[in-house]
Amino acid sequence: MLQGFIVISENLPYILGGISVTLTVVVGALVLGLSLGIVLSVAQVYGNRVVQRTVGVYVWFFRGIPLLVLLFLFYFGILANLQIDLSPFIVSIIVLGLISSAYQSQIIRGAILSLPEGQLKAARSIGMSDARAIVFVILPQAIRLSIPGWTNEYTIILKDSAVTYALGVTEILARSRHVAERTYQHFWIYILAGCIFLLLTYIGTKLFQILEEKVRTPGYTQ
Amino acid sequence: MTDQTPVLRIQNIEKSYGDNKVLKGVSLELNRGGIKVIIGPSGGGKSTLLHCINFLVGLDEGRIYLNGKEIVHTRKRELTAYRQKVGMIFQDFNLFDHLNALHNVLIGPVRVKKIPKSEATERAVAELERVGLRDHMTKYPAELSGGQKQRVSIARALAMDPEVMLLDEPTSALDPELIGEVHEVIRDLALGGMTMLLVTHEVGFASSLADEIFFMEDGKIVEQGPPQKILFNAECDRTREFCSKIGRLHNNSS
Repeated sequence: MLQGFIVISENLPYILGGISVTLTVVVGALVLGLSLGIVLSVAQVYGNRVVQRTVGVYVWFFRGIPLLVLLFLFYFGILANLQIDLSPFIVSIIVLGLISSAYQSQIIRGAILSLPEGQLKAARSIGMSDARAIVFVILPQAIRLSIPGWTNEYTIILKDSAVTYALGVTEILARSRHVAERTYQHFWIYILAGCIFLLLTYIGTKLFQILEEKVRTPGYTQ
Repeated sequence: MTDQTPVLRIQNIEKSYGDNKVLKGVSLELNRGGIKVIIGPSGGGKSTLLHCINFLVGLDEGRIYLNGKEIVHTRKRELTAYRQKVGMIFQDFNLFDHLNALHNVLIGPVRVKKIPKSEATERAVAELERVGLRDHMTKYPAELSGGQKQRVSIARALAMDPEVMLLDEPTSALDPELIGEVHEVIRDLALGGMTMLLVTHEVGFASSLADEIFFMEDGKIVEQGPPQKILFNAECDRTREFCSKIGRLHNNSS
């Protein structure tokens, strides 16, 4: 056990250095997923049948294929064949972001559909185009309602980000594995890795709670 | 354009939901400064008619003219310009829930009319003052009473400088105590010369304001005329029966 602590303390800075890599991947994927998710949700709710179908296929594709398969497909398959040179780090953000956009689009779509029909009618009645009504009336409300869903999405992406070690991204798990294989202290090293993820989950969840409280519309009890 | 041109003319509006024909060819005209009231039983198509006039519900047939010019609602720009001229008040207010009273009124002038924010704010404050809510500007819809919400929604419509106001049962979702404050605001509008088309069950209020009352049932305007005639001396049996019923209700409750 003492050996475990010595190994941990010697390698702690290296493993903790993976936190910034992990968080960059997670935040990058969340932001990409949110931007695409908003567009997809609006397209799915307000688009014509062809648009709705297309979004449906997109969501089906990215929700249906395992993350690792998509990572390999993009990195070794598509990008290699097209001779596009992107780092595993960037590819991971993109793939996680695309998957997240599929999930986030459904969170936001649910929020949009839960708004009373009268909101859009009222916006139209003062002469707003549908595009403006969506930007200024529908989305500000739908996005507030989506925050609890994002909290969930954050914890999922955080854990999924560990899979990117398979492409060689030097995030928390990859670094832990280096150390564990060098020192044979698998038990303590992976306990440490688990604790770091737990801590990040806790902090992230708290931050989302604060955000939720901050943007809450006064008078609304939720 | 002469003064004789009706501000709003609707011609032969028809609307069906599936097999259910809710509007069976409704026509009416509103002259500048005129106040027309539509009464009639629930399900008679009154509310659908108002929504159709604002193209919030698509119509199957019919034409709508503003100041003599037919509105082609498939031209987006023409439609939004028309809606700016035709204010709409909803039964359940439909305030923007994420915005406070001031921003509910402000959003139209700023985002639709592109008026600079400072100028628009001045105007919005004035409109809120007009409906007696200057002290409640920073409150959100969830913090306002029903009567206050409806007054904010009237201010929101007024801030767009409408030429006509369509009011769809503006007080029917309110506690009896709160009806008076909204009626007062509508009465002020009438005195200010606003052209209005009002759907209501408040016959006392209607008769004191309207220059003409329409009795509407089963998707048609059954009878129309000055308030005294429609309410107390209608020609059509059905109109008489309806008016005597709601008249009794009105007398008993007042």
